[in-house]
Amino acid sequence: MLRVRRAEERGRSELGWLTSYHTFSFGSYSDPDHMGFRALRVLNDDRIAPGKGFGAHGHRDMEILSYVLEGRLAHKDSMGEEHVLGPNEVQAMSAGSGVIHSEFNGSDTEPTHFFQIWIVPDKRGLPPSYQQFAYDPAEKRGALRLIAGPERNTTPRSAFINQDARMYAAVLGTGETIEYAIPKGRHAWVQGAAGEIEVNGLTIREGDGVAVSDESLLALRGAGPGGGELLLFDLA
Amino acid sequence: MSDSVPVNALVVFYSRYGTTEKLALAAGLGALQAEASIRLRRVADRADAGTIAADAAWKTNLDRMNRDYVAPRPADPLWADVIFLATPAESAAEIESYVASLPSLGSMSGKLAAPLAPGHADAALKPLYAAAALSGLIVAPSSPAPDDPIAAATAFGRRVTEMARALKRAS
Repeated sequence: MLRVRRAEERGRSELGWLTSYHTFSFGSYSDPDHMGFRALRVLNDDRIAPGKGFGAHGHRDMEILSYVLEGRLAHKDSMGEEHVLGPNEVQAMSAGSGVIHSEFNGSDTEPTHFFQIWIVPDKRGLPPSYQQFAYDPAEKRGALRLIAGPERNTTPRSAFINQDARMYAAVLGTGETIEYAIPKGRHAWVQGAAGEIEVNGLTIREGDGVAVSDESLLALRGAGPGGGELLLFDLA
Repeated sequence: MSDSVPVNALVVFYSRYGTTEKLALAAGLGALQAEASIRLRRVADRADAGTIAADAAWKTNLDRMNRDYVAPRPADPLWADVIFLATPAESAAEIESYVASLPSLGSMSGKLAAPLAPGHADAALKPLYAAAALSGLIVAPSSPAPDDPIAAATAFGRRVTEMARALKRAS
């Protein structure tokens, strides 16, 4: 069964310096029918104006992943981590027992476009941690590149998260197809990040998402004039 | 640990060079660890722009902090169950001013004020104790912590948050 969540149906926050689309309830956008999907609690599609950002604020008990599509994202936190993130890099922060951090557009001239993803951890009060790494973008062309999952020290590298969930990224050219077997009893969420993708024949575009349950196979195909980019979440 | 009683912790601080900011963040982190929702607010300088511009370190920190924090908002103290008040040791004037601007006595009833200052400076803390009490807040004094003031501020944040939770539970 596939249930689509169209881009235009998402919640929206417009703060002048920030345009954020919320696939699931977040902040002042609250919809009891869209509180998350399995352990995937937040999927925000954020655009931050140059030089602007989220000031210091706190989190706890959440696995927070940032996936940059365009521009630079600067991060600073109470663990002493201070980094700048760009496309083809992964940032994973496990808030655990508590983290205070700020996030800003790392450029004074160019906007930043990124997904912020929250996954509910399987334990509360864990020690906070931070991971960041870069990968070769060729690894997600025509293939599902594991970005984060519950295994440590993977090859190629992925971010460890405290949940039985995996996040992959893929870029598919027009007509290019990959398959993903969904183990029995598991679920998936496919998020359109750019361009156009077919999910088991259903076309999604940038900002659209699809909840997948009771399916054993995902056929993902690049569509439209230039194919597309997607995020796939494999969820218990 | 905590039960289901939610606690809102407002962390209000004034800092020029970052020392008091670190203390405030540590208290905020402690509140988070005790499962409070937190808001972090920096009180504006009373000094004029020329004075600040003449001090390069102050100006650099101010530019950064203006980006990292917003100023206190009128709704903040109404939202909060506990208000951490972090002041520099050398001057409590900015935070005293903030406390004096709080809503009327009745609105603050049952809320906690938790002042803290680098070096546990009496000269900075005592005016805040008095101002907070005059505003109807219940004052939770911090303790001297010569060895590790940051760890002590985090522990203070946790402890006061649990006090606020106990007060809410009892009310």
